[in-house]
Amino acid sequence: MHFMAQVLLAFCRWCDASFFGEAIRNSVWLFPFVEIFHLLALGLLGGTIILVNLSLLGVRFRGEPVSRLARDVQPLFNASLAVMLISGFLLFSTEALKMYGSPAFQFKMSCLALAILFTYTLHFRVARDAGTFSPGWRKVAAVTSLLLWVGVALGGRAIGYVNSTPPPGAGS
Amino acid sequence: MIVGALEWLHDTPFSAMMRDSIWAEPIVETVHMLTLAVFLGFVLVLDLRLLDLTMRERRVSAMFQQLNPGLFGGFAVMLVTGLLLFSGDPVSFYSTWFFKAKMVMLLLAGLNVLLFNVTVGRRLAEWDGLPRTPWEAKAAGAASLVLWVCIVAAGRGIAYALPPP
Repeated sequence: MHFMAQVLLAFCRWCDASFFGEAIRNSVWLFPFVEIFHLLALGLLGGTIILVNLSLLGVRFRGEPVSRLARDVQPLFNASLAVMLISGFLLFSTEALKMYGSPAFQFKMSCLALAILFTYTLHFRVARDAGTFSPGWRKVAAVTSLLLWVGVALGGRAIGYVNSTPPPGAGS
Repeated sequence: MIVGALEWLHDTPFSAMMRDSIWAEPIVETVHMLTLAVFLGFVLVLDLRLLDLTMRERRVSAMFQQLNPGLFGGFAVMLVTGLLLFSGDPVSFYSTWFFKAKMVMLLLAGLNVLLFNVTVGRRLAEWDGLPRTPWEAKAAGAASLVLWVCIVAAGRGIAYALPPP
């Protein structure tokens, strides 16, 4: 097997066996409790991203530079992303091996990696110096951002519906 | 009487379609969750603004003006998709305490908006440009924040309390 795949598989096995993975898996209310944080942060993360993108598209906050709005929502975005990543990791750790073989989860993580990379590099750069980019490029940045984050959400929704293939040598 | 009406709803062809279709429930639930980003996101931003915890140099009136279309549109979608999810299995929904608690809290959240609009919200022009929002506005923001957090929690609770399909 490919080296990276082996590292990921070992990581998933470790998560599955971790004390937090086990605790959340064996508790009736811990999983939904963590899910509530995941959903609340989804609201705030999505809300702030949508605000910046509406501004980039010229639909809302027209009378002011995009950079001001981007600067204003950045703390909310950072905080909600942190809550998303921590709560998401905890939920993942309850069935990490199953997630390893889940195409929906793989899709979600691919979109997430691209979305985070895009947001902290190009997206914020376009939002900060919106004046130096043409309206066309601003719209491209906004639509790309929306598509990537919607991909993350849809991938997450699909996890419960798409079957996972067990990793080689899983035994079960 | 309520249960009788819900049983009638349960026996309608529409309810059966929501229940039996493979696609209806996942699609409607996905729309319900995606719209959280607009509706819940905007509610949380406005609550935090009323609490002076974010964007303090922006006027509250300007925030309402920019966010209200998304807020109302988002609420309409949440309401319609929520009703659709409910209509698939109304008797079971109603039998859970989470659902009843969610409905009561939704009502309270609505009353909170109404109360804000007829009291401190009516005098918005007086405190709009001030460095601090008045305590009544902070109270409204805090009440809204707590209610929506609990509404999300109750909504998640319904999914776990419902009998498996």
